[in-house]
Amino acid sequence: MNTIKKSFILTIASLCLYLSSQGQTINWATMQNTRHIGSVFGGYDYGFNYGIAYGYHLKSKLPIVIMASHAQPAGEKVFDDFKTKAGVVVRVYEVNNFQFAARVQGIFRRFENQYVTMLNFGSDLSATAGYYKPSWFVAGEFGFDKAIVTNFQHTNAFRENFPDVKDGWYQPATGGNFYYGIQTGYSFGANDITLNAGKVIQQDFRTDPTIPFYIQVGYNRRF
Amino acid sequence: MALATLTFQSCDEELDIHTPGNLVPPAVNEDSSLPSIKVNNVQLHAEAFGNPNDPMVVVLHGGPGADYRYLINCKALANDGYRVVFYDQRGAGLSQRFPGTTYTMQLLYDDLDAVIAHYRSSPDQKVFLLGHSWGAMLATAYINQNLDAVAGAILCEPGGFKWGDVEDYIERSRDFKYLSEALNDAVFSDQFITGKDDDHAVLDYKFDLWAAADETTDSPTGNEGKLPHWRSGAVTFDAYIRLAERTRPDWTTHLSQYTTKVLFVYSENNKAYGIAHAQKVSSAYPNADLFETLDAGHDMLTFQTGWNNTYPAIRNYLGNLK
Repeated sequence: MNTIKKSFILTIASLCLYLSSQGQTINWATMQNTRHIGSVFGGYDYGFNYGIAYGYHLKSKLPIVIMASHAQPAGEKVFDDFKTKAGVVVRVYEVNNFQFAARVQGIFRRFENQYVTMLNFGSDLSATAGYYKPSWFVAGEFGFDKAIVTNFQHTNAFRENFPDVKDGWYQPATGGNFYYGIQTGYSFGANDITLNAGKVIQQDFRTDPTIPFYIQVGYNRRF
Repeated sequence: MALATLTFQSCDEELDIHTPGNLVPPAVNEDSSLPSIKVNNVQLHAEAFGNPNDPMVVVLHGGPGADYRYLINCKALANDGYRVVFYDQRGAGLSQRFPGTTYTMQLLYDDLDAVIAHYRSSPDQKVFLLGHSWGAMLATAYINQNLDAVAGAILCEPGGFKWGDVEDYIERSRDFKYLSEALNDAVFSDQFITGKDDDHAVLDYKFDLWAAADETTDSPTGNEGKLPHWRSGAVTFDAYIRLAERTRPDWTTHLSQYTTKVLFVYSENNKAYGIAHAQKVSSAYPNADLFETLDAGHDMLTFQTGWNNTYPAIRNYLGNLK
């Protein structure tokens, strides 16, 4: 790992509890009488992020939660970058206190710097398997974030260097990252405190992104 | 997601991030209209200016992985009676790309040998090196191995000639503030674009976005603005940094024998450098003439004030050794 990346990681690791955007984390053992879940979260996920989420627990035999989240990275410019997700998580199997769930989400995200604005439509597919009790849980998670199609719009500053850059929609997929790690949490009353942490690796399973980990702290209010 | 995908598939042109020419310019081996030379089994983006018989000044760009576009002011030396040679180092700028595992320092020395040989008009034609940042480190590493090869050198703010000094400088020069827009801009794009280690076009583009975070005017290096460039060499940058971290090079082992005066340039506005670091680094040469460029930062050869303040010192130095 080169010196520059090392500096990055040390810097970010020291602040890793602040902001993130993995989204809503659910303690399945507390969902029986829950209809709505409101969440706030923060930590590190491709940058320092903070966000809100909402989940609606359907009245169905199989536990299904429809969820949406919006995360905002830190920085002086507030809305130039963001990640919005919407989808569904299903608890597909339960045996004793072990529960298995699958989550499918669509993503819409934006990135802007002095050179380019990127708009991306993507997907996030993940599965969790863990042990859930009314007052705590621990689970493993594995997921794949795919940047399916991305629009690039470059600025004059970029065109000063490369006038022939091509703006427009780029496909096939411009990016993909796997992530895997743990979820854990503590539940008390109608509240959950959750922690997600793990590793991120590019879709070739060899190449790391600039910062190859994520960590998020979240708070849920169930009602 | 399916609807979005179908919608965009119906657009007129499918653009692929892997294709050179879309997000990054093609390299010389992908575009034959670009000026290049083929030496040492590599096609290098290269140009030369001035009388081919005049003393040669070979300009070595920074990075590693940058290109010579930001040093083009040095072309003015052609009007002072020098043959000025520019080239993008292998894997950098518009020069040919290679797998990251192939890059070694010896290859860079051999490439420089080959560039000199290509442009040399006679065996006794004097050759000077003008290196900026990493280019000044490369120049010194080359001199350390080839003590009789060059008639003099202009070294502009090399990070160091021993890897420990380079690490110290890098740490001082990287000032990403916690939770800042610059730090966010450097990493948030990782979820939009990913590339394997041989996806040079993708990796070079991402590197440009990452490097943009370092071009802010509040950087401790005193940069006046964005450096003009054609294309970053992400793989070569990573390869040489990893190589250096693994081998911790010392490029000063024979420098005590190089008694020719060198011009060592540092800048007033680069707060990460300063006279202490300049004295420490330049002390490896027994005969180094320190020059502080006023009112300029690390990019002292690019923007007008820095160039106007540095060029006379370069011209005087070369004139005394010509």
